[in-house]
Amino acid sequence: MMPKVVTSAGARRLVRLCTAAVLATTIASCDLDLENPNAPTEEEIVSSRDGIIAVAVGMQGQFAQSIDDWLVTSSLATDEWGTRSIALISYISLFTGDNFDVAYDVVLQPYARTYQVVNSANIVLEGVQTLTLGVGLEAGLGAVANLFKAMALGFAYQQYEELAVDVDPAGAPTVPRAQVLDSVIVLLERARAAYGSVSAADLTEFNARALGPGINLANTVDAMLARYYLFDGRYAEAITAADRVDQGVLSELRYPAPTVNPVRNLAFGLNYVGGLLRGFARQAQPGDARVQYWVDTLAATQAANPPDTLLKPLKKYSGVNEPFPLYFPDEMKLIKAEALARQGGAANFAAAAALVNEVRTDNVAQVDEPTAALAPLLPTELDTEAELLDAIAYERRYELYEQGLRWEDTRRLGTARTTTPTFEFLPLPRQECVTNPVACG
Amino acid sequence: MTFRRFAMLGLFAPMVVTAQTGSVQGRVTDAANGQPLANAQVRIEGTVFGTLSDASGAFAVPNVPPGRRTIVARRIGYGEERRTVDVSSGAPVTVDIAMTVSATTLGEVVVTGVATPTARRELPNSVETVSGEAVRDAPAVSAIDQALQGKIAGALISENSGQPGGGVSIRLRGTNSILGGAEPLYVVDGVIIDNNAEALVSLGANATRGGAALSNRLADLDPADVERIEVLKGAAAAALYGSRANNGVIQIFTRRGRAGEARITASTEVSMGETPEKYQLVSIPTAGVGDSIGLPGRGIRPGQPLERFDIQDQIFRTAYSTTQRLSLAGGATNTTYYLAGSWQDEAGIVRNNDYERLNFRGTVTQQIRPNVDLTVHGNIIRSKADFITEGEQTVGVLTSIIFTPTGFNPNFDTLTGRYPYNPILGPNPLEILNRYEAPEELARFVGGAEGTWTPLPSLTLKYLVGIDDYRREVRFLQPPLVNSATFTGSIQNPVQFSRQFNNDLTANHIWSFSDRVRLNTGAGFRFTSNSNEVLRAAASDLPPEQTLVGGAIQSASQERSEVRTMGLFIEERLSFNERLFLTGGLNFEASSAFGEDSRWQSFPRVGVSWVVGEEPFLQEGGLGSVFTSLRLRAAYGQTGGQPPGAYFRFANFANTSFSGRAGLVESTIRGNPELKPERQREWEIGLDAGWWRERLLLEATYYDKRTTDLVLNVPLPASSGALRQFQNIGVLTNKGAEFTLSTINVARPSFTWRSRLTYAANRNRIERLTASSDTIIVGYLNAVVEGQPIGVFYGGVYQRDASGNRIHRDTTIGGNLYRNMPRRLRDSVVVGGVVTSRPFANRIIGDPNPDFTMALLNTVELPRGIELSVLLDGRFGNDVANFTRRITEFFGADKNIEKEIRGDTVPFAYARNPVGRINIYEEYIEDGSFVKLREVALSIPISASLVRRIGANGATIRLAGRNLHTWTDYTGLDPEVNLFSESTVARGVDFATLPLPRTFSAGLNINF
Repeated sequence: MMPKVVTSAGARRLVRLCTAAVLATTIASCDLDLENPNAPTEEEIVSSRDGIIAVAVGMQGQFAQSIDDWLVTSSLATDEWGTRSIALISYISLFTGDNFDVAYDVVLQPYARTYQVVNSANIVLEGVQTLTLGVGLEAGLGAVANLFKAMALGFAYQQYEELAVDVDPAGAPTVPRAQVLDSVIVLLERARAAYGSVSAADLTEFNARALGPGINLANTVDAMLARYYLFDGRYAEAITAADRVDQGVLSELRYPAPTVNPVRNLAFGLNYVGGLLRGFARQAQPGDARVQYWVDTLAATQAANPPDTLLKPLKKYSGVNEPFPLYFPDEMKLIKAEALARQGGAANFAAAAALVNEVRTDNVAQVDEPTAALAPLLPTELDTEAELLDAIAYERRYELYEQGLRWEDTRRLGTARTTTPTFEFLPLPRQECVTNPVACG
Repeated sequence: MTFRRFAMLGLFAPMVVTAQTGSVQGRVTDAANGQPLANAQVRIEGTVFGTLSDASGAFAVPNVPPGRRTIVARRIGYGEERRTVDVSSGAPVTVDIAMTVSATTLGEVVVTGVATPTARRELPNSVETVSGEAVRDAPAVSAIDQALQGKIAGALISENSGQPGGGVSIRLRGTNSILGGAEPLYVVDGVIIDNNAEALVSLGANATRGGAALSNRLADLDPADVERIEVLKGAAAAALYGSRANNGVIQIFTRRGRAGEARITASTEVSMGETPEKYQLVSIPTAGVGDSIGLPGRGIRPGQPLERFDIQDQIFRTAYSTTQRLSLAGGATNTTYYLAGSWQDEAGIVRNNDYERLNFRGTVTQQIRPNVDLTVHGNIIRSKADFITEGEQTVGVLTSIIFTPTGFNPNFDTLTGRYPYNPILGPNPLEILNRYEAPEELARFVGGAEGTWTPLPSLTLKYLVGIDDYRREVRFLQPPLVNSATFTGSIQNPVQFSRQFNNDLTANHIWSFSDRVRLNTGAGFRFTSNSNEVLRAAASDLPPEQTLVGGAIQSASQERSEVRTMGLFIEERLSFNERLFLTGGLNFEASSAFGEDSRWQSFPRVGVSWVVGEEPFLQEGGLGSVFTSLRLRAAYGQTGGQPPGAYFRFANFANTSFSGRAGLVESTIRGNPELKPERQREWEIGLDAGWWRERLLLEATYYDKRTTDLVLNVPLPASSGALRQFQNIGVLTNKGAEFTLSTINVARPSFTWRSRLTYAANRNRIERLTASSDTIIVGYLNAVVEGQPIGVFYGGVYQRDASGNRIHRDTTIGGNLYRNMPRRLRDSVVVGGVVTSRPFANRIIGDPNPDFTMALLNTVELPRGIELSVLLDGRFGNDVANFTRRITEFFGADKNIEKEIRGDTVPFAYARNPVGRINIYEEYIEDGSFVKLREVALSIPISASLVRRIGANGATIRLAGRNLHTWTDYTGLDPEVNLFSESTVARGVDFATLPLPRTFSAGLNINF
């Protein structure tokens, strides 16, 4: 039992103690500027070397996890993929051209993903400008940020007729796609200039910490320059850039566990898409070995939607951790061939023909890329621009399957195109038009 | 008893202030029979002095300043009595008070918000109170919120699942948020407690669809410890709770000891629960199309003989539960204490579904100086619930039954040594029941300390610090091979640490200008912190018999959050003639979850209460003969709701892995530095009127609530680099009326019969969303649509002809002709005068919000202290989406399928219907109105001579029942349950959800 009345001295002590405790807890705990303990703050990230490196890694990861969003539109609107029976309505609609809606996620995602990568690239570029990181890191981070920004915009360029050229917190205005292509090339040239100025030794930290293993920065920048110079009709520069690309190097996005290849997830995890039998497999020239490289032709035909389409399971990217190539070395040969053919002249035609036949007759790949193992075409079959473009269109279709290039190829190759896409371009997403007063005209 | 708490707080406690004081003493009795009345509150008006009468009705108030004083006696169930006496120093004044039975509650003292205990007559708003007896005596409940069902007008209280261990939702005057929570704030003895219902592992519905747990944390408190509950239903009443009070506040006060001999109370209760109903399944031994399609590989053709299996008897059981309680309460002159312990062992109506709770509470109050009291209280809880999987997911126990034709034999196969896999879902329900483990373990401490200092007769200072700290752990084991032949097993073991801390300093001052005018001032400071951490460990590819996290693949993660609020408040109440009361208050509050630009927010309240019945002009006029009492009141107030996330104001970066390297990615949800609370304003008007010598009392209230700045997830331009941002955009309203009619039908010395009828109707309307065309779908069918009540059902409908009859046609699909098939309505999308597509149409097809609720409580007191009470609880006009029937019919297990098999309907009318009847949701929306016989209780005191033989003072036997019967047209097991548990928007969905048990209980209560 407690004493009946605590002595007054004891009570005073107790009261004082309590008062002190009240004041202490009250004052100590009144800070309302709590930080989020689950993640570093924006200030911590943009003001530190490690933060900027982490954002550069995150940017590459964002790009790597967005591949499926850029691929699915190009592959479904053309004749690369078909939709399996459980696919989303938006996918089926993209494939058939019916019941399309600008509110579909499939319209929004390629756009959104692009500017998320661009946003990350801008944070890195801002950090390179404002922080002292050392020549190597500044060069490497500047190059990789410009490269990934260009590649993301490059994919978006191939999907939308009008689009934003950079991010803006309030929503960026849309411009014609030609302007975006110019911007992509400028970014790539900047990337090339950035890393070209430093020695390999300077790049040690960058390569060890910031650049994704498997990505060859120099070759990728040149390959992308070749690709987008070609799209822009700057043929001589395309040839020069393509020539710089090492045919023996594969530059790729890797997906070690716990990450997974998103294309694999789309085709095998979600079971949304498969290889279109009617188009891709049946229209190949007899003996073209590249069909089996891409699609499992021996498997049973899959249930599809609409039911009259016939699909085979995809084969490439069937592994959860299978890498995705940023480009194939053979694309450089086809870029050069096309640039030469478009420049005209007998010598150029002959050189172009030789390149086409190199791709056709290839039966041992230096790196993991498809080999056609076909017979060469006769010189007489490849001695006009039209013949060459026809041949190049065919080779690109089978060599560069599900690389996100087919849609743009059908536009650029004009009469040589072998399919009519269900849509010429993606419309701008509804969310963008509703929320951004300076978009959508 | 109701006022004991205040006596213990010291507000009315005797104290020495000056030497020149007198005292008042006397005895309180029942005017009808002269029996002593304990727990009557006796107060000296205009001062803070007062006390409670003891068991013999006696009371004594010392230290009363001399002069002419008014003594006021109040007690629940009796009318207020006033006596005027002259107090002089020296000899005590004796006043004996006889009180008359009355239904009035005007004299009752309540604590609104945090200011001061106040007589109800002074309050401008309605405050609902529930006595501790009503909570304690509710039969066969384990949680306080269950015990409140049917007892509060304007509260919609639903038990979401029949699993023991909680899962109760309370809506006070409708739903007040869309993305935020909708449950009220709970405060126990001034300590803000957590009532989390977030699932650590979703066992009730797929995590992606709900994330709501099968339990809520109020279940941890023992209802037997409750002294009184006060319910503040809206902003007009709860403004002083500021930004956490949009959904109302439920204040719980626990029991305390009293000076005098120690009282020991021991009680025991045994109860028996059972499912009120079982699924009606196909039992005729002839195969139908559901069997031939659903049980492939057996060559079953419709019309063939087929053996049927109904395994519900192996899943349901009769559940026996026990509760043991022991409490000790008492005190000496300066010390009082209350100690109680309880052990509850509750069994669910499904096998292996159990709940155990050990609860210990102690409260000690010490008067350390004549005018300083200290109180320390603590509540330690340990509980363990063994949950079962239920609801919308392939591994639900009942889910498995409704998905499977009864031609499937799920019993253990002695040839293969395994339970056969379910042909449709995979897992076998019997194996799930036996081999899954889903225990939730909890260790919790809720406690506080408070000090009260009364430096002057007119001034009280109070400091309170409270903490609610718990650790909750769930282990969900799915052993290898149970789900499928290739399933390698999975175990998840999240652990949650939660801490609520609050710290209140309040001052109360009474200033009497004259006999006629008095000013009460309450002011204070409050700080609260609400922090939470979850550590998750998980593994898959388990070796056999692995029951803890281990195995070939392991993962872990951690999340933390904290929200702090800080506020200053003041409240003034001006009394004129003790008949007219004006109240005004302001709460100025800041929260860490608000953006820096919107950090400080203010929440005002004003109101008036006029006890017009006591005005001379009315008493002299004709109205006085009509009413025996009449009070008019009106109130206005504002409260806030915290944003649904602690860190939505920041640009948050998430970690990501790329090529084995750690990277950071900015969230696609942009931070909002202007984020502020959801803000509710409410006004209410009402009257309290008494007739027939206060034996008939009506309380009526009309309220109008408008909640603005509702946080919505607003789309941003994708070219900003982000996709969404939480912004204060939405608006919704709740308007409604509440009536409580209390009557004393018979009041004789040996027989009293009381009734209490409550009625409440609420109309909810979504006034504004981000865009008027928005339809936010939550869960399956529940939608948030402008101009509609929250959570309406939105889905496919039948195609109908001009007169509204369904169109049925013979339909050919895949070369097969199906006769007389219904059709689903399509919309036409017209572009440039051409129909470009005809997608399936969705329409609003139902509303889970009831039109009104009613409850009727009848209590009869018979000779020898025998008491019988019967509570009916009803809900009217609410729709339920019967997903259970949808699935049971489609997969061919429903009793209806027998019609099809016998040829009474066309083939495929229900089972495997080929035209998508399963997506014509209109078909499955049913009227969920019900009346439940919620509580029946009979208590019989054992004769005094018998009791004394065992040395006790008294003993009572109680026989009771809960949810004994349900009157409803709903075809499922129980219209009250909800698949999505405590979800704010997704309500009224029944999908293989466990019904509430019908329970019978018998108890014995002994006092020493």
